[in-house]
Amino acid sequence: MIRAPLVKALGALGSPTHQIASRAVRTSAIVAQTPAKAPDTIEVFVDDIPVQVLPGTTVLQAAAQIGVEIPRFCYHERLAVAGNCRMCLVEVEKSPKPVAACAMPVMKGWRIKTNSEMTRKAREGVMEFLLMNHPLDCPICDQGGECDLQDQAMAFGSDRSRFTDINYTGKRAVEDKDIGPLVKTIMTRCIHCTRCIRFASEIAGVDDLGTTGRGNDMQIGTYVEKLFLTELSGNVIDLCPVGALTNKPYSFVARPWEIRKVSSIDVLDAVGSNIVISTRTNEVLRILPRENEDVNEEWLADKSRFACDGLKRQRLVAPMVRMPNGELQAVEWESALIAVAKALQKANGQIAGVAGQLADVEAMVALKDLINRLEGETLVTEQDFIKGSGTDVRANYLLNSNIAGLEEADAVLLVGTNPRYEAPLVNTRLRKAYVHNELQIASIGPKIDLSYSHDNLGSDASLIKDVCSGSHAFSKVLEGAKKPAIIIGADILERSDGAAIHATIAEYCEKLKKPDWNPFNVLQNNAAQVGAYDVGYQPGLQRINQAQPKVLVLLNADAGKLTREQLPKDCFVVYIGSHGDNGASIADAVLPGAAYTEKQATYVNTEGRAQQTLPGVSPPGMAREDWKILRALSEVTGTPLGYDTLDELRTRLEDIAPHLTRLGKLEKASFNELSPKTATSKSISGGAIDVKQKELREYFMTDAISRASPTMAKCISAVNKQQRQDEAKQSVAI
Amino acid sequence: MTKYLGINRLSKLFQIIQEAGGLKQTYLKLYRNDDLKIGTLVGIDKYGNKYFENPYYFYGRNRWIEFPQHVGMDYDGSQIPAEWYGWMHYKTDLPPTRDGCRPKYKWIADHSENLSGTKESYMPYSTTPPKVEAWDPKAKK
Repeated sequence: MIRAPLVKALGALGSPTHQIASRAVRTSAIVAQTPAKAPDTIEVFVDDIPVQVLPGTTVLQAAAQIGVEIPRFCYHERLAVAGNCRMCLVEVEKSPKPVAACAMPVMKGWRIKTNSEMTRKAREGVMEFLLMNHPLDCPICDQGGECDLQDQAMAFGSDRSRFTDINYTGKRAVEDKDIGPLVKTIMTRCIHCTRCIRFASEIAGVDDLGTTGRGNDMQIGTYVEKLFLTELSGNVIDLCPVGALTNKPYSFVARPWEIRKVSSIDVLDAVGSNIVISTRTNEVLRILPRENEDVNEEWLADKSRFACDGLKRQRLVAPMVRMPNGELQAVEWESALIAVAKALQKANGQIAGVAGQLADVEAMVALKDLINRLEGETLVTEQDFIKGSGTDVRANYLLNSNIAGLEEADAVLLVGTNPRYEAPLVNTRLRKAYVHNELQIASIGPKIDLSYSHDNLGSDASLIKDVCSGSHAFSKVLEGAKKPAIIIGADILERSDGAAIHATIAEYCEKLKKPDWNPFNVLQNNAAQVGAYDVGYQPGLQRINQAQPKVLVLLNADAGKLTREQLPKDCFVVYIGSHGDNGASIADAVLPGAAYTEKQATYVNTEGRAQQTLPGVSPPGMAREDWKILRALSEVTGTPLGYDTLDELRTRLEDIAPHLTRLGKLEKASFNELSPKTATSKSISGGAIDVKQKELREYFMTDAISRASPTMAKCISAVNKQQRQDEAKQSVAI
Repeated sequence: MTKYLGINRLSKLFQIIQEAGGLKQTYLKLYRNDDLKIGTLVGIDKYGNKYFENPYYFYGRNRWIEFPQHVGMDYDGSQIPAEWYGWMHYKTDLPPTRDGCRPKYKWIADHSENLSGTKESYMPYSTTPPKVEAWDPKAKK
């Protein structure tokens, strides 16, 4: 079976350059996995500096080892080598022609000259050709200022061109393609580096993009007019070295030199992708990925990238209190806090708190401390988990094999999860392992498209028992694998037999366990989830129904799982959060909080890595950071919390769980912790296993921010339109 | 001789005080207009503005206006209606009371003074959308 696209397939057949090229795609993780051979390095000279490299290293990589950067357009570390832009031509001594550094493996004793007369001439020639066929529209181009072609034309291009349009025929021009609401195409600017095509087919796993025509008539496109909309489509914008693919919602908005950049963390899924927030005049303009090899490599999912316009809509900008006529009315902070404090004091300890999917750890701790001081005990998360004491053991709810570790896995079973939409960047890891590491994947759940071929075992829950008892065919694969992994979706653990599923799989994983490898994984959907369990929140809203609280504090709880009918009639509901959504509309008092781009807050991702967001802009209107609201509230209730600054609060976090302040570090659950004893009964009650996000349209709106985003709404309607067109075409064909 | 001793100026002062109607009125007039002048009343418009002329003063100061008492100190040049504007600014020597060939259409709008700085002043509204749209609890989905 051919998994990797053309380049790798050719590699198997023979051409030495291609073999090396395909090896170059593999990252260090996989290189590390191969059995350690004697390091028989060879010596080459880059600009007369000796370098020791492994055989098979390309000229470009060898040069990079000593910090010499060779200009390139088509070459990208994470994509297959194409070698078609020719910008990386360098002179090699005794070679009659310059060689393409990105595709040529070094030989022993080669003397590479990256700055010789011949090299410079070759670069200038390539640049001259590129600029001949590239429009001079930099002043109106969105890539202006962050364009590889601009930079490299300045650094390596000639100071003049022989191109004169003597017949006034105009330059080459290409029609723009409509590939969806996220990526804008100006195809005349395309320099045919084919990075977008390689990204789509290798990383995203959709073979939608390709080339038509040859030479001067070559065009990048989707062949037939079609949407290029995957959950990862925004990454082609970053990959495009010129302004051919640009960010559509961001088009003509700002220049890179006007922007303030703030490094932060994404919270719209549980991966915790590292991002850069671009802001200007207190406004979030766009979000870009930040490189973090352990989490998101350098990719970013579309929701995280494009839902940022939801931060400007449906915002809570003033505290609100429900008036006797039943309407929420904006009031001053003082009267809102007094109203809430009165209710809290009257409740006599019958207070409960609910943390939603965007709640940060600081606010959750402050809420817990406040409610505990008022003698309340009930603190839960909106997302449910297994019944019983499941969250006491950290390994029970983490992705124990790690996100980066999953690309070393060689057999994976997905149980009731669709990583493609629940955690797109976990799915890219699985796909990477599938392409480069012969990963075998099976799923229990509905038939879904995971962007790689996998074995759907069926959707019946009893299959879990079959696999875990070792009687299923896939059990053999798992047991024979060097690094097997079972990934459970967080949503199926909400079922009544969730505990049994969890326990059955945990017990089986005890058997599959390897030294240094924990195969048991729970894939969380919510950024707040792991943090909430870490600081001692209990899962599930049914505890609220049992407690029948007099005051209920919702912290970013917007999933709409809780309705007014489930609560006692005289229950006073307080909502703290950034967006007017399901939570705020059932509340009696609304206290406006900050969104993740407006506060310094800690989130723990699904593998247990604590990371912090940094504020790019200030909260709108009278909104304040969530923990500060709770601190102010504690003052009014007469039970002041013991921290006045973020540092003091972080010290409190450290007392609860020290890993919460070790930002950026992965805190694994200790190895032998995983206990199958969590379940009381182990009977899995049949019934089909389902996932919530089956199709792309279900991916775009999953939380308060993305529900408020007009871009996400456009994506959904674009997907729907595409589907209607496909159906119409099919019916015509029949 | 009288000129030399400045007696004519004194008599002028007495004349002005007399016209104004006593010392107190003179003081009030000086306070309000910063000036004391006597001249012939050329006309009164429908808003109560009185227009005077005295060629004794040099050009540029020989025509002036006394605003009606009810505007108090809140008077300004924009209270001069269009028909008197020309005479006040020496565009014409014919005041509207004597100029028979001024057109009088019924569609001519009534004069209005400059309202800048008052409550009624023109306030342009912003056409740019707000950076942050607030949630409206009344708006149903």
